Amino acid sequence: QVGAALPVDVLTYEEKTLSAILRVISSGLVKLWSALTLLGFYQNRRCAFRVLQTSPFLLALSGNSRELVL
Amino acid sequence: VSFLIPECGLLPEVLKSTIADVGEYYLVRNLSVHELVAHEFIDAFVKKGSCYALTHNTKIDQDNTAALLPNGKLILSVDKDTYEELGLQGHPSRYSGKKVMRYIITIDLTDSSFHPDSKKYNRVLWALKEKKPLEFDFLMAWYNTGAEGSTLMSYFSKNQIQALKPKVTFSTLKDLQCPVLQSNELQGKPDESCSTEELFEWLGAVLNQVSLDNKSSSFLSTYCCPQPNTMVEKAFLCTITGFIIPEKIIQLLEQLCCYFVEPKLAYWLTLTVHGFADSPVSWRENEHGFHKGGENLYNFVIFRNLDYWLQMAVGTNDDCPP
Repeated sequence: QVGAALPVDVLTYEEKTLSAILRVISSGLVKLWSALTLLGFYQNRRCAFRVLQTSPFLLALSGNSRELVL
Repeated sequence: VSFLIPECGLLPEVLKSTIADVGEYYLVRNLSVHELVAHEFIDAFVKKGSCYALTHNTKIDQDNTAALLPNGKLILSVDKDTYEELGLQGHPSRYSGKKVMRYIITIDLTDSSFHPDSKKYNRVLWALKEKKPLEFDFLMAWYNTGAEGSTLMSYFSKNQIQALKPKVTFSTLKDLQCPVLQSNELQGKPDESCSTEELFEWLGAVLNQVSLDNKSSSFLSTYCCPQPNTMVEKAFLCTITGFIIPEKIIQLLEQLCCYFVEPKLAYWLTLTVHGFADSPVSWRENEHGFHKGGENLYNFVIFRNLDYWLQMAVGTNDDCPP
């Protein structure tokens, strides 16, 4: 840990869906979520992050009923 | 619902047929809730076998939601305005806070005082039919205990009913690092076996395709497979997605236990079941809410000697599972 920075793990990244799974210590969730929400530019290109699912359990991320496509 | 069998390349026939037998579920669009309270419906489905229904595409923290439990209870989770307009007796949501914004109404359809001429029945019917009609898209399933009579498909033929089959995906994972487990060592033993939490997280990693071998120089992720682990040449992963009823999951569980009847290389296998994030109840009839996440899931780890671990997980707005 360096200064006030938070260690974050990028567990997966899928280029096709442009989605990733990040891991952070639970006390850092709010900081990370806020940082992602407020990140509007990267290297002069506009971008936006949408949080699809959060859980303290990695296993819970493998099923998301809100994304159920019938 | 997912299950993972290490050291398995091909699924045994009996498991294949159990999966094929998981059965259909139905999507009924624009169904009024008062139709679920109608005595023809109750006599045809609720009292004969187990009938399950859940509103589709409704968020438990925002919208009105309804669910029919197999024990005959109809649960309505409604916002304050709907509750006041509906006029039925309920209680505030347990996850309300100071200003109550959500109420839960429970109607026992199989109660003896709920017969067609009772005051209770007439009031409920009036509230749902005339005072504040509620209409939703419902996911439904019915476990028929062999009784003759109509099916959901024929009963709701005048509504827009669609029969759906759960989606099944199979994959064989190659060269997978699997934790070593001992069924009686829940906390794990250093250098001998892994703990239940380590297994739970590892399983999450496998099902989400997280890479398990991270070099110490990798700056992307610090996750690695718990020690001690063994390299398994192949593992079979199957995922079934849909509105799956407990009776079918029990059949699947029984067949998975039978997997170990013949000698197998695997020491254990897992079965994971996820509940719907927007269901109004989880674990018996405990109220379920969606705070930052609506997880309610359980995981079985079945060992060769038929010992098992059952891990249950819930989110913030939930009661502890029994």
